[in-house]
Amino acid sequence: MLAVSRLALRSSVRPALRSVVASPVMISRRGLFEGYGLPQPPGNIVGTVNDAVPTPAPDAVHGSYHWTFERLVAVSLVPLTVLPVATGTLSPAVDALFGGLLIAHCITGFQSCITDYIPTRKFPRGHIFCNWLLYIGSAGALYGVYKIETEEEGISGAVKKIWNA
Amino acid sequence: MFKSVIQRAGPISIRRMATAAVEKQALVKTFQIYRWNPDTPEVKPTLQEYKVDINQCGPMILDAILKIKNEQDATLTFRRSCREGICGSCAMNINGTNTLACLCRIDRDVSKDTKIYPLPHMYIVRDLVPDLTLFYKQYKSIEPWLQRKDVPADGRENLQTIEDRHKLDGLYECILCACCSTSCPSYWWNQQEYLGPAVLMQAFRWMIDSRDEAGDKRRSFLENGMSLYRCHTIMNCSRTCPKGLNPGQAIANIKKSMAF
Repeated sequence: MLAVSRLALRSSVRPALRSVVASPVMISRRGLFEGYGLPQPPGNIVGTVNDAVPTPAPDAVHGSYHWTFERLVAVSLVPLTVLPVATGTLSPAVDALFGGLLIAHCITGFQSCITDYIPTRKFPRGHIFCNWLLYIGSAGALYGVYKIETEEEGISGAVKKIWNA
Repeated sequence: MFKSVIQRAGPISIRRMATAAVEKQALVKTFQIYRWNPDTPEVKPTLQEYKVDINQCGPMILDAILKIKNEQDATLTFRRSCREGICGSCAMNINGTNTLACLCRIDRDVSKDTKIYPLPHMYIVRDLVPDLTLFYKQYKSIEPWLQRKDVPADGRENLQTIEDRHKLDGLYECILCACCSTSCPSYWWNQQEYLGPAVLMQAFRWMIDSRDEAGDKRRSFLENGMSLYRCHTIMNCSRTCPKGLNPGQAIANIKKSMAF
């Protein structure tokens, strides 16, 4: 079930990447990439050659807070992954926490990809579109976690079932 | 008396006394070098082959390309200055690794060609000369100079303990050759907004300098999603640095100092 929900999330992002960027080859080849996205200034130079690059306004939510949150999620996933393997079971509440954190971890990871490859600077609308696709897919995955916790024996139970199958 | 000996021996026997120089066999190495000329923008960049007898040439790649420029093709263009790894001018991509041509030995295995490209993913001025304007503009944006509210009471120096001075080791040696920044995939994709490892390491160099008082301001420069946090710890920067520095660790230290 977990695998299914992650797959659903992934396949919801992939076609979006295709439609905006056309093909992964385009990312690596600057020549083909021209004509896609907003035109960039020659040599990426804005202003005169003696001006410093402009510094964006400080915004901790997208800066250090975001990074700290990302790290905390990643670190807390380690015991939550080891625990069910070591003890053989997880309580539904902890299992739900595990599912939620896993989705949070995936969201920050995919968001990084979107910021890297579909930057606002070049694709202002594609960036927003892809982020919304990610949120919708993640909401679906969160609903999947809710279903698996309430109706079946949780993520650790599902993994166990597949492992023993 | 000595004079008479020389006169008796004559010029021919004196020449016989000298050790004959061992004639080294020619060891011809092929260099493939990236060429692009802005005067003919319609011609695509190509790799041009040059053959150099490396027994008649210095040990470093820079010696080879200087020899090519001197003897074979005066139109080959590249930057060089100090020829000893202290100026950072001759940064280029040699056999797939960003390094300084003056610090990179010629591989004496002549069965393999040596490929030389300019620094990757930069705008090219000509041949091996990349446009580093954006790189310097980014360096300027971190305000790389000592900032204090007051001057020393005796009007002389800002003093520092030996321990505080040691904190700058491994940071101040950077020569801004741009090898690390241009090896970073994140810098390739987002160089307009991400500052890159070289500039971030210099930002850290000023943050931990005990004499500098603008640390909070320097951190606030990086407090956004792009300037610093596009670093995904790929670590190409530390692997490629021709001076053996560790920009990846400096960036990690900035991130640590900015987290709660």
